[in-house]
Amino acid sequence: MGKLEQGFSEGDPVGPLVKEITQEAINLFEGSAGHLEPSQFTDEEAARETLGTTGTVASGRMSVSFALELLRRHFGSDVFNHSGMVDLRFIRPVRPGDTITFNGEVTGTSREANGLKVNVKIEAQNQRGDTTGVGSGSAVVPQAYLPPEE
Amino acid sequence: MIEVDNRVPLDWDALEVGEVFEKFEYTLTQEMIDEYRRGVMDPEAAFPTISHKVDVRQFNAKYSDNGSVNARCAFHCYNSPVPGRKLTVTAWVADKYLRRGKNYIVTEAVSVDEDGRLIDRVITHELKQPWEVGKKWES
Repeated sequence: MGKLEQGFSEGDPVGPLVKEITQEAINLFEGSAGHLEPSQFTDEEAARETLGTTGTVASGRMSVSFALELLRRHFGSDVFNHSGMVDLRFIRPVRPGDTITFNGEVTGTSREANGLKVNVKIEAQNQRGDTTGVGSGSAVVPQAYLPPEE
Repeated sequence: MIEVDNRVPLDWDALEVGEVFEKFEYTLTQEMIDEYRRGVMDPEAAFPTISHKVDVRQFNAKYSDNGSVNARCAFHCYNSPVPGRKLTVTAWVADKYLRRGKNYIVTEAVSVDEDGRLIDRVITHELKQPWEVGKKWES
C-alpha cells in the first residue's frame, strides 16, 4: 500500500477525464444490464415519444460512472472503491457524438474516525463548453495512506 | 400472446414516501461487467451495478407513468461486486417534491451480496414529466 503524498489540499485539481460518447457505448451501457427494449437512450423514436428530442441521450448514470472513474483515478481503487461517493445533477443532455470533459477540485478535508475525508467538486462540460453536469464527491483516505503529520 | 400490464398508474399525490418495494435479486455475471466496462470505456470500472438501475426497477415494476428523466444521482461505493455472486437489492421511495411546477420522485436502493457484504447505495431524483426537459433541450 503506497502513501498518497498529494492531492488532498484545497484547490488541488482532480482530473481531467475525457470521454467521447458514441451510440455504441450507450447501447453497451444499457445492454450490460439487460435493458434491451427500445428506450430514450437507444432508440430515436422512443426518445422522440418520451422526451420530444430529435435524437437519443445518454443515461445520467453514464455520467455518474465517469465521475466515479475521475475520483477513483485520483484516490486509487483501494481507497475509492470502499469509501467513495459522487452526487451529480444533470444540467444538459449528453448525446452521441459529444466529447465530455470531467474536472474536479478539492474543496476541503475533515478528520473522520477512520481517516481523512476529502471533498471534491465536479463539473462536466461538452465540446461546446456547455456544462452538462455538476456535483460533488468524496472519499475517506485511511490514516495509513497519509503522510505522517509534522 | 398479449402481455397484460398489471401496473398501477402512478398517482404522485398518493405515493407514500417510505414505501419499500419487494426485494429484488440478480446475479452479476462477468459478461455483464465486461460489457459495462466497454460501455463506459473504463477497464477498471468496479461498480457495474449502476447500469442496472436497481433503485427504480421495482418502482417501475409496480407503477406505470409517462416515463422520467434522471435529474440527479448519488452513488456510494462500499465493496466492489464479485462476478457470480447473487446480489439482493432493497429499494424504497426516499422522498418526493414539487419544484417549479414539476414532480420529482427520489428512490434509494442498497445492494448486498450473498456473503452479506454491503456493495453500494444509489439515490436518484427523477423528474416525472420528461417532455418538459425535452422541450428545454430542443429550444
